[in-house]
Amino acid sequence: MMRYAIRHITRFDYEEAAGFARCNLRLRPILWSGQTLEDYALLVEPGGHTHPARAQAGLANVTRLVVERPERTLTIESRATVSVDRPIPLPSPTDPTLADIRAMVANVADAGPASPVSYLFPSAHVPIVPEIADWCAGDLADDRGILDAAISLARRIQHDFAFDPTATLVDTPPAEAFAKRGGVCQDFAQIMLSGLRGAGLPAAYCSGYLRTLPPPGQERLVGADATHAWVLVWAGPELGWIGVDPTNGIWMAEDHVVMAIGRDYADIAPIDGVVLGSGAQTMQVSVDVEPLPVG
Amino acid sequence: MASRASNGQVEAGVTGAHWLDDYCARAPRGDVLCQATGLDRAAWDAAFDELASVPDTLAGARERAQRHADDIGTAYRAAGEKEERRWPLSPVPLLIGAEEWRGIAEGMAERAELFESIITDIHGEQRLVAEGVLPAMLVTGSPLFLRPMVGLMPPGGHQLHFVAADLCRGPDGRWRVLADHVRVPVGAGYALENRLAMGRTLGGLPSRVNIERHAPFFAAMRAGIAAACRRAEPRIGLLTSGKLNPSYPEQAHLARYLGFLLVEGADLAVRDDQLYVRTIAGLKRIDALWRRIDPRLIDPLAFDANSTIGVPGLVDAMAAGNVVIANAPGVGVLESPAFAACLPALSERLLGHAPALSSIGTWWCGDPQARAHVLASLDQLVIGPAFAGPPVAGLPDGAVLGASLDDAARERLIAAMALRPQDYVGQEVAELSTMPTACGAGLLPRPFSLRVFAARGGDGRWVVLPGGFVRIGDQPDARAAVMGEGSWSADVIVHGPDPVEPVSLLQPTDSVELRRNPGTLPSRVADNLFWLGRYLERGEALLGVIRVLFGHSISADTGAALAPATVERLVTIIADTGAAQRPPSHRRRDLVDFAREAMESVDGWGSVRAVNRLATGIGGVSRDRLSADMVRLLDAPHPTTGTLLDRAGTLQRRYAALAGLSAEHMGRTDAWRFHDLGRRIERALAVTRTLLSVDLRRANAEDLSTLLDLADSQISYRQRYLMGFARVPVIDLIALDPGNPRGIAFQVETIVQHLCKLPVLNDAGIAEPQQRIAARLTAGIAMASAERIDRGWVLEINQQLQKLSDAIATRYFLQGAQALREAGLTLA
Repeated sequence: MMRYAIRHITRFDYEEAAGFARCNLRLRPILWSGQTLEDYALLVEPGGHTHPARAQAGLANVTRLVVERPERTLTIESRATVSVDRPIPLPSPTDPTLADIRAMVANVADAGPASPVSYLFPSAHVPIVPEIADWCAGDLADDRGILDAAISLARRIQHDFAFDPTATLVDTPPAEAFAKRGGVCQDFAQIMLSGLRGAGLPAAYCSGYLRTLPPPGQERLVGADATHAWVLVWAGPELGWIGVDPTNGIWMAEDHVVMAIGRDYADIAPIDGVVLGSGAQTMQVSVDVEPLPVG
Repeated sequence: MASRASNGQVEAGVTGAHWLDDYCARAPRGDVLCQATGLDRAAWDAAFDELASVPDTLAGARERAQRHADDIGTAYRAAGEKEERRWPLSPVPLLIGAEEWRGIAEGMAERAELFESIITDIHGEQRLVAEGVLPAMLVTGSPLFLRPMVGLMPPGGHQLHFVAADLCRGPDGRWRVLADHVRVPVGAGYALENRLAMGRTLGGLPSRVNIERHAPFFAAMRAGIAAACRRAEPRIGLLTSGKLNPSYPEQAHLARYLGFLLVEGADLAVRDDQLYVRTIAGLKRIDALWRRIDPRLIDPLAFDANSTIGVPGLVDAMAAGNVVIANAPGVGVLESPAFAACLPALSERLLGHAPALSSIGTWWCGDPQARAHVLASLDQLVIGPAFAGPPVAGLPDGAVLGASLDDAARERLIAAMALRPQDYVGQEVAELSTMPTACGAGLLPRPFSLRVFAARGGDGRWVVLPGGFVRIGDQPDARAAVMGEGSWSADVIVHGPDPVEPVSLLQPTDSVELRRNPGTLPSRVADNLFWLGRYLERGEALLGVIRVLFGHSISADTGAALAPATVERLVTIIADTGAAQRPPSHRRRDLVDFAREAMESVDGWGSVRAVNRLATGIGGVSRDRLSADMVRLLDAPHPTTGTLLDRAGTLQRRYAALAGLSAEHMGRTDAWRFHDLGRRIERALAVTRTLLSVDLRRANAEDLSTLLDLADSQISYRQRYLMGFARVPVIDLIALDPGNPRGIAFQVETIVQHLCKLPVLNDAGIAEPQQRIAARLTAGIAMASAERIDRGWVLEINQQLQKLSDAIATRYFLQGAQALREAGLTLA
């Protein structure tokens, strides 16, 4: 069991006075197995109106924010206290094989946002790319257990790809990151999603927070963390969705806090929307994941 | 006597009956014409008699039909093409008897309502999915499925208002569905235009055959959308993505025909869940949109956050019941080729029987039994993607005939299908009926498909357009899979034994009442027309200076050469507009090069040609407000034949024709006022620039003559003054005489009249900025006398005119509606 105090601050600066900002916020962590949202607060400066958005695309808490006159800056701060109690999954010989998963998903009579059939098909930002599918196929033999295959693929991505924040941007397609053999968490997650979906296996994009440990002997730096992205694989109706993190080659367990789940980044972008104005804008984000005492 | 040339061409002078007999002797089994009997056959006879009644060849008839289509303005642009191209029209319509048509129409209406039930369930409780009748993957597999729509109820309770389908007729006479179009059903405008063009080619046919009319269908569709709106007299817009959309000309035509406002996302705004259109009279409520853009792009807050052509908050306005969107976003999920495989089961479950109009045989490989069938019959089927998404593994070019795959390709496809069977469908290779087509020089049997349209009427029931259009393949191979998009189109005539209320097919307005609510001129349209006026005047004025330079100094046979000082002034006027680089000398060759560059340079924005290009661009996006004649003149390419002087003459005549059309043919609406305002301001500016080029205090006779030339006022001067050129009378005529239509005073007077008629925003009786500037201009002219006019006075007028243009833009045109997008995620 772990407890975290999370602060996620986004600040927009507008070169010229901006008017009438309308945004979707997907910042409040969703209800998900293994984690509990103990406390939550959203602070917006200057103040605006918020209400739950009518139209929602994925598994996310979408809040619509309207600020009549943000003028020169808009600051959105999301504060969450979350406790996480999530065991590390253990692959077992009795797990469904990949062939089993393909047959099982065909029988799912549910098209809802948590259904595996909602994450089986290519999406706008995660197309099925033949080169990626071929590369991933090495770990995805038909008779292999799903958990065994998933962690093995995640570890191979972690091993073979370089963590390189200069290699990619937020909208870099997976094929490009794959060709460069480098990128950041989103690139690795998208490559893994593309490979799994290409093999006919349901896989979802998961965004959230990761507890980071300071180098030995140093203090934890406040605000130096970032949002994180990883993958959920569907392991059949009994095991359900299991998280795996290809950036670190590990399972999703007590270091991960789920914020939102979608087909790709577009479904779960923490903030998107429009603002009226003609000047340039800049954005700064700071994230802090502070472990709290348990009990 | 009929005679047939060896190449199968039917020669001139034969009768329709001979054509017909000759055709039937060569047509394959299952041709629609050869199978027609009784009344149906009589209708074909009549059509062929009409065709033959004009003494020329079929090729001539085709040319004639095409010319009519061009007159009406039919253009078609394939996706990705920049230039519109002709949508080739075969003059031979498809004739369908009332009895046969009834089967099609009833089948279409039933199918549309079936679709409504299915999409209502998908966007609602998804019971059909839970029951297993509708496989969940058929919903989530479609990239056109929009999850945010689940749980939202559209106003009026209907997701669908307008649908289309492509049908094929088998050699056995049975009609079946090749494809459904519900997301953005296009082509109704082409059906209308083909009908008009056909009416001009086969003008006598309506008196011999009872032809069903189109107009009641469109009236019903309008009533159906209006019935879903909250206000009794709703304002309806046709939402377009603009000029680059392949069916933009069709959209402009339909908007004009239906009296809908042609609007783009930037014209619209949502405030407090209400939709408004930005007009020259401020924000006006809009109640419904006939959506012709990709639904994913209509609202960046609901679907694609990157969309820059949408309206933020539109889906909220719909969910609040304030806007009808026809059709609702997300209905495209019904279009997937795989959906056809499950329609029989869905029809049984929802209607209790199989659909009256069935799809061609389709097997979806997401179902293990169907997949087994497809694998066993690979050679007899077309294998294609199950959903309208990106290419799927093993089918890099989309659907293929299974029999055409070589061993390696077949193996790749089977392996890919084992991993993702849900991505594939097998479809029967449908065999198509043929119909007579005037392609090439002769009359040839060619396979065709028929696009039909259905709309929900005011009473909620579906109405089917009696007609539509056919697409005709250019190869004799009568398999649907190899026909592709088709190369020709033709009209479809539904005829019956009973007389139809007579209506002339020659009347382009066919009879839906046109509605043009005053005050709903969208700001963007006003902006475009204003600048169209300015560009046309700017091009004409520049051409005028070039012609003066030519007329007097370049061409050896006309008149004495101008004094060097005058040539220098003309060169300066031209060079100052940015049309051309100043010439190195005043030698004849340099001046010719200079004039050519100013007229024809394709670099930069200053030459006559470049200014015309701007005007052409605006003409393209203002089709719904301009006559076809104007659009054609604006679209005409830059002349390339003859000498430079000839080409200048051609351009001059075009400008004159455009000015004539706008003066004599545009209705006196606000749209015209903005166009004319643009012209007047630009023309007045050009005169001020001319006056500024001369030292008014010391102007000599040649200066004055040149001034009159540039202001196009030689004749006016000679009518007023018998003496030679005198300084004060010339300046008075050009600057102050309100009777000279080329002078400044006349322009200002006209500008003031226009501004008085345009809507004002504040009702406190306080003049708005553009009115104040106009008043200042009027006073400046009223208080001036020609003796005292100097450079300072002209400069003041010039600056006030520019301020006036800016004030009009600020007051009436779109301002600051630029959307910026940012996403708040950092990555680690």
